[in-house]
Amino acid sequence: MDMTRNAAAVSLPVPAEITQIREEIEDVKTFYFRFEDPELERSFPIRSGQFVMCTVFGAGEFAVSLPWSPEQDRRHLSVRSVGKVTSALHGLRVGDKIGIRGPFGNGFPFAELSGRNLIYVAGGIGLIPLRSSIVHALLHREDFGRIILLYGAKSSRELMYRPNIEEWRKRDGFETYVTIDRPEPGWDGETGFVHTLIEKANVPIENTTAFVCGPPVMFNAVIGELSRRGLKDDCIISTLERHMKCGIGKCQHCAIGRTLVCTDGPVYTYKQIKTLGETI
Amino acid sequence: MTMHLLAKSDVPRFLSALSGRFEMYGPQVHPESGDVFFDLAADGSRIRLDAPIPVNSPKFAVFPHWERILSYAYDRENKEVKIIPEDLVRPKALVGVRACDLTGLLCFDRFFLGQEFVDEFYRAHRRKIFIVSVTCTAPFPQCFCVCTDSGPYAAEGYDVNLTDLGESYLLEPGSEAGRALAAELGLAEAGPDAARRRDEAVDRSISLFEAKAVENKAWISRAVNRLTTGFVKNETWEYIGKQCFECGACSFVCPSCSCFNIEDVNRQSGGTDRLRTWDSCSFEGYARMAGEHNPRRPVEDRRNKRFFCKLSYSQSKKYLRPGCVGCGRCVRVCPGDIGMTNVVTAIRRDITG
Repeated sequence: MDMTRNAAAVSLPVPAEITQIREEIEDVKTFYFRFEDPELERSFPIRSGQFVMCTVFGAGEFAVSLPWSPEQDRRHLSVRSVGKVTSALHGLRVGDKIGIRGPFGNGFPFAELSGRNLIYVAGGIGLIPLRSSIVHALLHREDFGRIILLYGAKSSRELMYRPNIEEWRKRDGFETYVTIDRPEPGWDGETGFVHTLIEKANVPIENTTAFVCGPPVMFNAVIGELSRRGLKDDCIISTLERHMKCGIGKCQHCAIGRTLVCTDGPVYTYKQIKTLGETI
Repeated sequence: MTMHLLAKSDVPRFLSALSGRFEMYGPQVHPESGDVFFDLAADGSRIRLDAPIPVNSPKFAVFPHWERILSYAYDRENKEVKIIPEDLVRPKALVGVRACDLTGLLCFDRFFLGQEFVDEFYRAHRRKIFIVSVTCTAPFPQCFCVCTDSGPYAAEGYDVNLTDLGESYLLEPGSEAGRALAAELGLAEAGPDAARRRDEAVDRSISLFEAKAVENKAWISRAVNRLTTGFVKNETWEYIGKQCFECGACSFVCPSCSCFNIEDVNRQSGGTDRLRTWDSCSFEGYARMAGEHNPRRPVEDRRNKRFFCKLSYSQSKKYLRPGCVGCGRCVRVCPGDIGMTNVVTAIRRDITG
């Protein structure tokens, strides 16, 4: 078959081997993998914020965001077991093969973010698609102003990437606020919804870009609070999730109004999201 | 461009020349129902160039209802996976394609081949297609291609176009392959009056089409304007949504609808087929995600997307024209009476129930 672009992995999935599996939180596991093809293993260029289509052989294919930073991490995917294909993935063991197509999508606009304050606001597994961006920002710390993570989950058992967060917390110039919805025994951190952290962190508004990712209720509360403080719609960035079948702008399942999340997105500014003319 | 005459008595020879090198697709009359289907012909002589517009569009020849796009076998014991690409390239002749349906194929070409990514499966089908289009010298009751700039005479995209001039067809080659075929058949060159007779036939046809389009109330351009600017009342969409049975028939008969689903299906004998199947944005599960979040649950949310996709300016950019090609098939098949022309009327008149 003749492939014009990114020859290996647009139409046909390329095989990769699961090298390590880590239980993150209930129903969420991280799968480290390496490509069978040494050429791809050496170079599989991604941009932070992109996604791949992951095949679980015998079950199907699903779209999944990329949590790894190409500069620092081994390749991995963090996936919640939520449907037919993702639960089949959770049944795999180290040594099993998966298929990868991609990477697809636009990614975060880092070229435009130089010198700005970066505020990461995540709820639950909404931290997964922001992870690579956080790692990238920390690796290029001198390029940015304040870097703040505001992270919340329903309970301490639902906080993703806790070892990473502990490690980031120790870094100079990285402000970390973590909250859970209600107090629980043994938790001495913040409690309450994540948007209340905006006040606690004294988030700057001038020269600031916020990355917001999480469930709709959290998303709306956070956007509301940031807007109330004067952060402009085009300084709020999110990454959207949609049912996807092809990843290359053809099956149309991910259409929102006039945009296709797979090729125009998945990263949009809130200004763009408001003009899509459809519920996100 | 040299034009030729194809005597009607020569049509069998013409079809037989194509049969020798292509799988033959064209309009065939069902022996019992009398319905016309555009279908694979076991034998080229069964294709009827003079048959009425087929109930289905020829799009399935390049975009099948369902097809295997690849297969794989995973041996979990030995952790070995074998991925087998599908060879989809088969030379096909699409004979008797009407201008509306040809326009639909050109929409497909622009969408599948001309965007950021190329759809390799579509390209494989499209690579060796020979198209014989026919001019519609009289409209059918459902037709409104004159309102959508897609007929009754094909402007581009064919290898050969045929226009019925009575005792013979005017044969216009549109490609090198078309010219070669005309030469090979030794067809007579058309005289200087042939083009004039063709134009007369097309003009006569257009005037008949106009009467039909008035009857069909197919004032598409007004609806394009209102959809593009967003001036369609929610109540109108709700009315259209209430009428929709969510059967998907409009999408399946539409020459330019190209949404598809992909599913991995395990074979009884082992191994898995990755199947690509037609899909429709009218289906409730179209945008539903794992975990049951469905951003397009209400039927009117799904219905307005179809008409937005067909008619709004921003969507038309992907085809470089409106997505509707005026074949009128959705009007015929819709059990809820919300085919394109009725929706256009509802939008123009703010019909709300």
